[in-house]
Amino acid sequence: MTTSTALPPAPVPPVSARPRFKKQVPHNVKTSRRAAWIFAPSLLVSFVFVYVFIGITVYISLSNWKIGTSPDLTLRQPFGGTYGEIIQEQRFQADIRNVVIFTVIFLVLAILGGLIAALFIHHVTVGKGLFRTVFLLPYALSFIVTGVAWRWIFAPSTGVNEILRSIGIQNPPGWTTDTTILGALNDPSGTDFLKVQLGVPVALLPIIFAAAWQLVGFAMAMYLAGLASIPEEYMEAASVDGANTWQRLRLIVLPQLWPSTITCFVLLLHVALKIFDLVVAMSGSGPGFVTDVPGIYIYNYLTSRYDKASAMAIILLLLTLAVIVPYLIRGYRKERKA
Amino acid sequence: MRASNKLKISLAVTAAVSLITVTGCSANQPAGSSAGGGTDKLEITSWWTSGSEAEALNVLIEGVKASKPGLSVDNAAVSGGGGANARQALAARLQAGSPPDSWQLHPAGQLKSYVDGGQVADLTELWTQNDWASKLPRDVAEAQQVDGKYYTVPIGVHRGNVLWTNPAVLSKANAKIDPAGGVDGLISTLKQVQASGTTPVCLGDKDIFASAQLLESIIMSRTGADNWKKLFTNEYSFDAPEVKQALEDYKTILSLSNKDHSAITWDEAVKKMANGSCAVSLMGDWAYGELLNAKKKPGTDFAWVTFPGKEDIFDYVGDGFSIPAKNIPHPEAANAWLKTLMDPKVQTEFAAKKGSIPAVTNADISTLSEYQQEAAKSFAKASVVSSLAHGQVTTAEFAQTYADAVSTFNGSGNVAAFIASMTQAQKTQL
Repeated sequence: MTTSTALPPAPVPPVSARPRFKKQVPHNVKTSRRAAWIFAPSLLVSFVFVYVFIGITVYISLSNWKIGTSPDLTLRQPFGGTYGEIIQEQRFQADIRNVVIFTVIFLVLAILGGLIAALFIHHVTVGKGLFRTVFLLPYALSFIVTGVAWRWIFAPSTGVNEILRSIGIQNPPGWTTDTTILGALNDPSGTDFLKVQLGVPVALLPIIFAAAWQLVGFAMAMYLAGLASIPEEYMEAASVDGANTWQRLRLIVLPQLWPSTITCFVLLLHVALKIFDLVVAMSGSGPGFVTDVPGIYIYNYLTSRYDKASAMAIILLLLTLAVIVPYLIRGYRKERKA
Repeated sequence: MRASNKLKISLAVTAAVSLITVTGCSANQPAGSSAGGGTDKLEITSWWTSGSEAEALNVLIEGVKASKPGLSVDNAAVSGGGGANARQALAARLQAGSPPDSWQLHPAGQLKSYVDGGQVADLTELWTQNDWASKLPRDVAEAQQVDGKYYTVPIGVHRGNVLWTNPAVLSKANAKIDPAGGVDGLISTLKQVQASGTTPVCLGDKDIFASAQLLESIIMSRTGADNWKKLFTNEYSFDAPEVKQALEDYKTILSLSNKDHSAITWDEAVKKMANGSCAVSLMGDWAYGELLNAKKKPGTDFAWVTFPGKEDIFDYVGDGFSIPAKNIPHPEAANAWLKTLMDPKVQTEFAAKKGSIPAVTNADISTLSEYQQEAAKSFAKASVVSSLAHGQVTTAEFAQTYADAVSTFNGSGNVAAFIASMTQAQKTQL
């Protein structure tokens, strides 16, 4: 791989004309062609491994391919029948409810927690490095490792319930074994289309808490970077104008941190929608699928129904796109305006 | 200056990526080509990677080496997912047309999916030549067939419907479990234990198969072995009164179980039972090895009884090996491998390490543990049926539907919904 020598040398403008701090090579036909060559391998790789594979998954989800041992690639009749089949399942409905609840509560907890931790560390004068490390450390661990520890903590017969019992609470919560749905909107009879109770599954809360605990450090790091980039002059000017701490936070810091919030939101959303390992380690699917998530569904059906596993994967992709696409469109519009 | 540095860096990254891709491909190359050359080789895949499993597999490998001196055996075991990962890896190889010489599988339903895909070789000739059918219980020989032809050989047998008991807890409650007393007898004994102040049942269904296996044991006790088999040929419905009764029994037994059952695993549950937290725990006989590892004494710390029912049923969870129908790299070595597996001596040694019992009835069981000897005797005379919870009696799809229905039932306790989804599966999946 010594193709670099074969490339034509970059066009060099006369020395006197070169600005001292040049940020970009001037665009011309030659450089953009070279850029295309440089990006070609990664474009090809991402095209094949992302878009072609998504296409294959879409096709499998529409086909009759049931078990891995004997591929049947004929299209299923009626068209899209697999999707029609799974949306009627109690398990599927529970999964969608769970992943939505998980995502909303998790994002709020992790982003708020990260913001508070970042503001605290930004303003603390002693032990800044220590606190930063303490908050960021969980993020460096694997979900399986922390999931096992959290499972012990929330085990109903041992763990945190031992402490609760010792201070006189007779019936401590069942944590991940609790099948109650908070704020249930309906009471399904079993014969309706909707087979699950819509609401907040109590069993999911310990898992959301564990996930938020682990990713608070990540949000904190994003916010710390954001805080460092707020020009000192803004704060000084606000102080001179007589703004108090709360006003400075609300009118200067938070608006300046908005880009960090958006980035946190998009990156953490991925974690929430694709959550798998933490749930597997902490509780598995749970009684009545109170803690089941699409990731576990896909994993379970990979050995018995390729079409169903693929359909669930595509639905998960659509869920992600539903949030990411508006964000991207907004970004492009802004760029065009600028 | 900076721009050309950037250029160099991006070129270096591109080069590195291409190199990784190239070496990645070439690393795969020798594996494929070596499988094609030489006649003194044998490659087998399985999901036996844990301590006792790996030791047991080694017995088989040493056995085939002894029968074919100079043979080099390539053990391509893949761990994890209760065999799911190994089956994924195997499926990829079968599709690519480069199968191993032999692979591990469950008989009956799982075997059928390989037969339907045209991937396993017909071994009927080998079976008749060696008269293997006469050395096995009839039901077991049948499980190795699809449409009257043999496609696999059985190496070991596990039993799914064993009720492990804590003698101290039972005697404290002055209770006794009578295997002939049926499910009703069991439930009244369990209530007696509850009255004495101890949780009657230890269950650990964080992995749902533990519940699925408990319910399966109750269903087959209520329906009997013949009707259990007919559930999977669509000659007997999940809508039958016996199945409904079994679900009510299961609901009662769940209410007599530890409240945190969905948070603990099966091995934690059997250890809890042996520690005296409860009187009984239903689990396959792989629990025996787990209890021995936990330094529990059979007979004093724990005992066992077949899950009570109206007849003696052996819930069979079996392991066997098949060979590929096409592109088999070393047919002769694979043949020797299958013959080794059916050697009674090898099966006894294998069972001693694995904790299972030999499949062939002419194997010497006198050196095995007390539990294994009892199970082997029962295996030879009980009605042998295949497990649904382990995906043996029918297709993987049906087994997954059942597992999902059990999970749902554990949350809702809705008998009608369970029956509806299972009868629907009987109509569409069998």
